[in-house]
Amino acid sequence: MKKILISGGKLFSICAVAALTLGVINAITEPVIEHRKIIELEQALLELAPDAETGAVSVPDENPTARAIYPLAKGGKEAGYILELLGIGYSGDMKILARFAADGSIAAVKLMDNLETPGLGKKAEDPAYMRKFLGTGDSARPVPVRKDMLTGAQADAITGATITFLGISKALAEGSRYIREGEIENGP
Amino acid sequence: MVHEFFKGLFKENPIFIILLGLCPALAVSTQVVNALGMGAGVMFVLLGSNIFVSLLKDFIPEKIRIPCYIVIIASFVTIVDLVMQAYAPTLHRNLGVFVQLIVVNCIILGRAEAFAGKKTLPESILDALGMGVGFFLGLLLISLIREVFGAGTITLFALGSFDGVIRIPGLVTSPARVIGLATGALLVMGYLKALFNWLELRKEQRAWGEIKKEQSKAVRSAS
Repeated sequence: MKKILISGGKLFSICAVAALTLGVINAITEPVIEHRKIIELEQALLELAPDAETGAVSVPDENPTARAIYPLAKGGKEAGYILELLGIGYSGDMKILARFAADGSIAAVKLMDNLETPGLGKKAEDPAYMRKFLGTGDSARPVPVRKDMLTGAQADAITGATITFLGISKALAEGSRYIREGEIENGP
Repeated sequence: MVHEFFKGLFKENPIFIILLGLCPALAVSTQVVNALGMGAGVMFVLLGSNIFVSLLKDFIPEKIRIPCYIVIIASFVTIVDLVMQAYAPTLHRNLGVFVQLIVVNCIILGRAEAFAGKKTLPESILDALGMGVGFFLGLLLISLIREVFGAGTITLFALGSFDGVIRIPGLVTSPARVIGLATGALLVMGYLKALFNWLELRKEQRAWGEIKKEQSKAVRSAS
């Protein structure tokens, strides 16, 4: 009995010291990480819409894919939207920022936080990866959501990371549909 | 005692000889830069856990040593994860989930259990450094082969005007993509293991040859 108590006490003390250390480290790094995330988001918004002003963010509550909407304005006129989309990747959620014109066509895309495999799915962070989606999404050109909707070279480039491609393309297609069908006007 | 350091490099190389830590080794070896980051992370955690396990080896009761080791290792991994997120965000983004997976990298628990829990502090530090460098070099070798043949590039850190990617003419336009995929990882690993086995075997045969020569010499001198 005494032996068990001593063992338990020792394990507890190791855990307590570990928890204390981690708490201190977390207290130091958390503000830095938060600050970095905010700057990252601002930079991404600026990168997607360098020519327009980004309005106040609103959060649609019933759409599982579109998580936030930033209306864009150019010289006082509406100039499309930036949507924060949630895609399902190979290992967990992917945060995607995409700029849409009012007709639902995709103007720019950027992959934000994700846990994709380095060297395979992670390649989607490269701006060149998103080129295949640009200009699609209006009523004439659907967003490519299958490999056979891509050209040969484009399909080669996603080899080994099909799940990542499907996650991104489905999120983009849903975002495009969301804009095109004018759900924003009915939303909050 | 220097032996404790050098054994990890070749003779007891964690990847090629002991075959530990293969999961992260194969998974992140798609690009050289990931191998560098992962290698550095593992080295830090290995050093930290070996130091603390060795220091606490008389404090930790035999029966609950594994949970104690796990707590120590997990703490170091979390520290690496948080510090990387805060101060090396690009590297953290590249390594993704593999930073947290250092926890289950069996090299670290393996060295804690097989070495640091029994040996003195200086020996454990040397062992951690040797094994860490061995893992680092192994990972570097695999990733170099996989990236050069699988993508035709060598990705390093971006510095100033250099974007961090060395492109190899000829290979970059028509790489053997399979080497970069999971299949290629296993193929490369298999061939490297075969190479290491062959080197080991050759060394043994040479040693046998020496012994035989000396024996025949001894026989001759006796007669």
